[in-house]
Amino acid sequence: MSAKVKVVKRKGDTLPEKLYLVEVLKGMKTSFGHFWRNLRDNSRLYVRHYPEQQPEITPRWRGRHRLTTHEDGSIKCVACFMCQTNCPSRCIMIEAGERLDDRDEKLPVRFDIDLLECIYCGYCVEACPKDAIRMDTGIFSLVEHNREKMLVGLDELAATPGAFTEDDYQKRGL
Amino acid sequence: MSNVDILLVILRVSFGAFVPLCFIAVLVWMERRGAGFFQDRSGPNRANIFGFRAAGLVQNLADAAKLIFKEDVVPGHIKHKFYFIFAPAIVFFTAVASFAVVPFADTLVIGDKSYVMQAIPTDVGILWFLALAGFAVYGIILAGWASTNKYGMLGGLRAAAQVISYEIPMGLALVSLLAVYGTVNLSEMAQFQGQLLFGFIPMWGVILQPLGLIIFVVAAFAEANRTPFDLAEGESELVAGFHVEYSAMKFAVFFMGEYVAMFTSSAIIVTLFFGGYQIPWLNTETLVVYAKPVAVVLMLLLPVLMYYFAGWIRKSNVSHYDRPNDPRRREAAVYIKILWGVVAIMELILLAILLSPSGGVATRIFVAELQIATFLLKTTLMCFVYVWVRWTLPRFRYDQLQKLGWQTLLPLSLLNIFITGAVVVAVS
Repeated sequence: MSAKVKVVKRKGDTLPEKLYLVEVLKGMKTSFGHFWRNLRDNSRLYVRHYPEQQPEITPRWRGRHRLTTHEDGSIKCVACFMCQTNCPSRCIMIEAGERLDDRDEKLPVRFDIDLLECIYCGYCVEACPKDAIRMDTGIFSLVEHNREKMLVGLDELAATPGAFTEDDYQKRGL
Repeated sequence: MSNVDILLVILRVSFGAFVPLCFIAVLVWMERRGAGFFQDRSGPNRANIFGFRAAGLVQNLADAAKLIFKEDVVPGHIKHKFYFIFAPAIVFFTAVASFAVVPFADTLVIGDKSYVMQAIPTDVGILWFLALAGFAVYGIILAGWASTNKYGMLGGLRAAAQVISYEIPMGLALVSLLAVYGTVNLSEMAQFQGQLLFGFIPMWGVILQPLGLIIFVVAAFAEANRTPFDLAEGESELVAGFHVEYSAMKFAVFFMGEYVAMFTSSAIIVTLFFGGYQIPWLNTETLVVYAKPVAVVLMLLLPVLMYYFAGWIRKSNVSHYDRPNDPRRREAAVYIKILWGVVAIMELILLAILLSPSGGVATRIFVAELQIATFLLKTTLMCFVYVWVRWTLPRFRYDQLQKLGWQTLLPLSLLNIFITGAVVVAVS
């Protein structure tokens, strides 16, 4: 049985198309139409006036990380090293210490993320068994004057609130 | 030499030297804002001095400051540092110098002396342009070779091959043009185009030589290394081509040279094909006779144009998002006041022309100023065509470029010479 063959007609064989100059003028007419419309009325440009108008961030967006806490303010992280082991860019550095609040055995005494190394893949969030690390802060623009400031520590990670409600965050991607 | 002689020499040379340099800023601005509007975005519009953005022109100052203070790297592998530094200078110098022969107004007659309005009043004319435009590519080849970099080398070689291919159709298109005008002197060519064909059509090169115009414009685009013929710096395959190793001010000189070359070739196209400084139907003698009616028409026209321009500024120069006490509106108000001031000064000058005795020196100078304005307007429009083409057409492939040059433009220009020759012989 022969395969189904669909013959597609090749375009560009007519004389005006081969002359090229006619098509050039047609193209120039189109681009000039855009130019003229925008010159007369620049309110309809397809741009966001960025620093003043911030883009809308969805709950699925992977922004800067944060560490979540229990209702009483104690940190959810149990220093299991899952995220650090899973991290492809090795930007997470955890130091574990003894936990005394009866929730678990360990807690991090140091939790540093080098944001210059991080590739924002989100594997740490997926690896976390305790839902202790999330990337839902909505922070997407990170600028500092030196490298040291790009190393965020435990306090800053725990202090940053999430940008979305718990409900919206749970529904992300569903 | 009298004082007037010296003054006019200074004026003409400074026009020839500084107008191309001033147009760099205008053209870079036109390219970037134009590109924005062609692609439905806004282009650079944030850089400002005390809130004044001058429609994005201030961005040029920011870029210039950045390029001047950047580290000027000469990579360690470069053996011939002299040639490496010399190459951008060649490109820039030839581009500026080739503008020197373009007439920007008709020969100015003051008393019993006449002054050719070119920076270099020479009869060489178009040959000077051809020589220097051909020489500009040496800078590109030298840059590519001195970079000791395979991308740079390939870019330089491509530029060389391209210029050789397109110099020929360009020269041949000029041959037929010279047969029509009967001179190589650009001033005489522009004067020739002040005549009328059949008594009512301006005898511009575009009417007499339409095919020549197409060939010349295509070749001029290739000579100026502009899209669709900018293979020498094709990003997709050569990174940046001949200027891949250049940084800071050395790169900026290449960049400025490119824009000066664009301005110069626009000026040459305007002079050869669009009547140069000639205002259609009003050649120099007619203008001198009718200077006062023209001044009256201008006096009436200027405020009307300014009124609509002010309305456009007021509409365009606003923030397109919620912003309390929008500073851009205040900015627009200041611009409009300044522009109305300029219009008022121009009206006063026109009034002075009206009150001065007709046919005198003042009238002659007024006519020269009108012609300079016309020339600059035409050249700016031609530069806009360069920008327009750049943001419309994709780049040619290398074999397509050579095929177009040798198999299409060369036979066409030869055909044009035969037809023109037959017509010129038949008419004379």
